[in-house]
Amino acid sequence: PANNGEMQPTRILQLLNMVTPEELIDDDEYAGMFINDFYVSYDRNHKNIPKNISFLLILDIFDDVHEECSKYGKIVDMKIPRPTQTGLMAGIGKIFVRYERIEETGVALRALAGRKFAERTVLTSYIDEDRYLADDF
Amino acid sequence: MKSESEDQQTDGADDRKRKRRSRWGGEESKVNIPGLPTAITANMSKEQLDTYLLHMRLEEIGRKLRTGDYVPPERERSASPEPIYDIQGKRVNTREYRYRKKLEDERHRLIEEAVKRNPDFKPPADYKRPTKVQD
Repeated sequence: PANNGEMQPTRILQLLNMVTPEELIDDDEYAGMFINDFYVSYDRNHKNIPKNISFLLILDIFDDVHEECSKYGKIVDMKIPRPTQTGLMAGIGKIFVRYERIEETGVALRALAGRKFAERTVLTSYIDEDRYLADDF
Repeated sequence: MKSESEDQQTDGADDRKRKRRSRWGGEESKVNIPGLPTAITANMSKEQLDTYLLHMRLEEIGRKLRTGDYVPPERERSASPEPIYDIQGKRVNTREYRYRKKLEDERHRLIEEAVKRNPDFKPPADYKRPTKVQD
């Protein structure tokens, strides 16, 4: 049900223009670790962090986003999609944050829109929870 | 961050801690470009949103290239590569050159994607298509 062409708010904050594909690509043995889980449940006390630039960079990006987004509500989980062979554009540059409550997502959406992240202008939007869960970015 | 296991962590993890500094710009860094909203609440399909994102980024890169604002502040910079000199002994891969090239390369990729999505897409007036692909 469209209300004046406005999107139905959801619990999922969609952050756009956040990262470049290069930052998310690496072709070494650790790649498999994150292709599968997109850091959905990244363990902050990760032991044995591999010496791998991309890996560390993505953990870093994850931390930055998690820290800032926590200011607006309780985060359920997050996804940082990585490029795959099929469709380099799909989901790339986007970071998703699921909050516990729709209201929290709305506050974050307005607060973060237009802010800079690594010298890029952040755009914000909602995405349907079904699509988020199905990795349909 | 946990501290008890720090001594067991790799050099990579130590480097990471040392350079911890958020990528977020402050509230004062907020930009407002008329006609290009940053909080997108209008109903858009995924394709429409991606196309909008593409144009927004192209606009942003264009602005950076026009104003010469392409060298990030020191905290955002990566380690400099070994210098390369030309035949006159002038450094080729200066910081300005590297960051400008990075943006130009990204712009080139985005324009190719935009043309793929819409064959009528008109690249920015100051865009020159690279004649050959290098490195």
